[in-house]
Amino acid sequence: MRVNPNPLPDLLAALQQTQQQINTDLAQISSGQSVIVPSDDPGAAAELVQNAAQASAADQFLRSIGSVQGEVANADSTLSSVTTALQQAISLGVEAANGTLNASDRAAIATEVQGIQTQLVSLANLSYQGSYVFAGTATQTAPYVVDPTSPSGVTYVGNSNTNRITLGNHYTLQTNLPGSQLFSAAGSDMFQSIQDLLTGLQTGTGIAAAVGEVTSAANYIDAQRVFYGNASNQLTAQQNYLNSDTTALAQQQNTLGGADLSAAITNLTSEETAHQATLEAVAGANQPNLFSYIK
Amino acid sequence: MSSLNASLAIALSGLTAEQGALEATTNNVANVNTPGYSRQVPNLVSSDPVVIDPLTLGTGVTLLSIDSVRDPILESSIQQETQTQGQLGAQVSALQQTQVNFTASTSDIGTAIANFFNSINQLSANPADLSVRQGLLTAAGNLAASFNTAANNLTQQQTNLDQNVVQTVGQINQLSQQIAQLNGQISRLQSTGESAGSFVDQRQQAIDKLSSLVNVSVIPSDNSLTLTTANGTPLVMGTQSFQLQTQPNAAGLHEVYAQGVDITSQITSGSLGGTLEVRDQQIPGIQSQLDTLAAGLANSVNTVQTGGYDLKGNLGANLFNPPPAGGTGAAASLSVALTDPALIAASSDGTAGSSGNAEAMYALSTQSGINGQTPTDYYSGIVFNVGNDVSNATAEQTASTQALQQLNDQRASVSGVSLDQEAANMVQYQNAYAASAQVVSAINTMMYDVLQMTTLNG
Repeated sequence: MRVNPNPLPDLLAALQQTQQQINTDLAQISSGQSVIVPSDDPGAAAELVQNAAQASAADQFLRSIGSVQGEVANADSTLSSVTTALQQAISLGVEAANGTLNASDRAAIATEVQGIQTQLVSLANLSYQGSYVFAGTATQTAPYVVDPTSPSGVTYVGNSNTNRITLGNHYTLQTNLPGSQLFSAAGSDMFQSIQDLLTGLQTGTGIAAAVGEVTSAANYIDAQRVFYGNASNQLTAQQNYLNSDTTALAQQQNTLGGADLSAAITNLTSEETAHQATLEAVAGANQPNLFSYIK
Repeated sequence: MSSLNASLAIALSGLTAEQGALEATTNNVANVNTPGYSRQVPNLVSSDPVVIDPLTLGTGVTLLSIDSVRDPILESSIQQETQTQGQLGAQVSALQQTQVNFTASTSDIGTAIANFFNSINQLSANPADLSVRQGLLTAAGNLAASFNTAANNLTQQQTNLDQNVVQTVGQINQLSQQIAQLNGQISRLQSTGESAGSFVDQRQQAIDKLSSLVNVSVIPSDNSLTLTTANGTPLVMGTQSFQLQTQPNAAGLHEVYAQGVDITSQITSGSLGGTLEVRDQQIPGIQSQLDTLAAGLANSVNTVQTGGYDLKGNLGANLFNPPPAGGTGAAASLSVALTDPALIAASSDGTAGSSGNAEAMYALSTQSGINGQTPTDYYSGIVFNVGNDVSNATAEQTASTQALQQLNDQRASVSGVSLDQEAANMVQYQNAYAASAQVVSAINTMMYDVLQMTTLNG
């Protein structure tokens, strides 16, 4: 049988093929990636797009949690100060309700309660990074304005709206309670109760009833404070979840698109051997032919 | 009755025939590296005998012809495979450029979409913060730029492929002209009974080259052949060649015409077929997917934006300039309409502190608003399609390369020049020549003897 007398083109094609594989291996080893262009593994490339989007979103959720956490912690500690101030007003009221005090003693106590009132207005006007925390969504102006014409001594200029923020895949969290719900709720109006206590101290009547109002306002606010406690716990829980999610996504990314270095290096070694063998074959293709022997 | 003269003539015919045969060998050796050359073999036949009763006497040897050894069926298979190879080669190299636009980077569309929605989430946490708002405008600008870059690159690539089409048609015309000329030379030689081996080799090579450019069918006829492309449109008929023309269409891309008929859609293989497929099918397909994504994103963001309130409490205006109706060209023309970060409508109630509308905008990232898919899912679908096209075409190209290599091996085993064989032939012809020469010398001696005989008698 007649065979192809010139094997060189085939050998050159084989050389190109091994060279191509060596290049692919080197690219994988140097980049650490097995999917460098989409055609390397179209399915993995498409999944990597989604993986990258999820990882990027998780990073953003963690940053957003950071911003929200500051505000929530501030609101929580401020509400704690509010309850402390209210407790102080309650003890002052209880002291004043004792019938042995005269008008000038009560006036002194009233001055102290006025101080507490001012402090409460300031606390309710808590501002965090330029935004008023208890103003609903009207965060650009202080929600409580001192107003002697108002029965409670203050006017609420905020609104009753709340904000929610997405902090995970289909997970949203309410981030604020408006002052109208916290401090000015019908039946538990903190400022009204303090104003009533002041009026009682000034007139000497109805002090005990006013103390009752302040107590119920303090209890109410304490109950509302749970919202911020819960929010804080949820933020921490979500932060932990996102951190582990980020790790899982990074692992998935590596599984999908990371180069298997040991495999790539093994391949490279065996292909280099193949390449060398082919090179020797090319050199060997220059064998003497019959012409060399004809004398 | 035989004669010495007859013997001398027979010995001479041997000398001439072996010399001619040696010429074939010499030519083979000289062309050992000539591409497309088919080895030649001498066609030696014994000369017609003469009958001189009661004897039938041989009259020597005749070198009837020198024939090229080739296998027409193998050559037609090689043409077929060369067409496929040309098509896939053009497709793979074009698509590899295309997929660069969809390779993961810091500025690819997928990353830009993710960054855009991240900026919205950041806005949700700080709705009144001007620097965060500016960040969102920047992210929107980057998103538009990534769409613009990809769309413009695709258009540029389409234009380059279009130039290839014009150049390839020029090459096709040149080759069909060359083949028509060779047809003329071959039929002239063959009509006078001469061998046209090397012209046939050249023509075969030209046909192979033509096959790598466009789909051709070869219809052999006596002493000539007809080449047709795309549904029987003739390229070469005997000594006449037919030129293909190119003419730009409404979109500025060149269509291929044969005698006034648009045959573009019928050119399916060869590098012209591959180039046309990428130019007319694959790139427009990717462009339209990008347009769908860009238009879908811009429209849905604008709808949410115009339903909310900006930092000043006014109803929001479009964030992106509205994409063209129908979406065609949306990716190339996507641009941000707003320059004042305060005009981003993050608020759902008109107050600066509300992030309700920013949340609604963020929700677009998980809503199936682009042909029933989320923006990221839709984009990952494009990446899959592009990658899959390249990977399939590459696999087919590898298979076709191997098939072509095998066919070429086969052709070489039939038509290739083997130096060993030529050396053996040379020895064989040389020995035969020497033997014939010895015979001449012997006859010479015998002639001398006869002449001596007459001298003695006279």
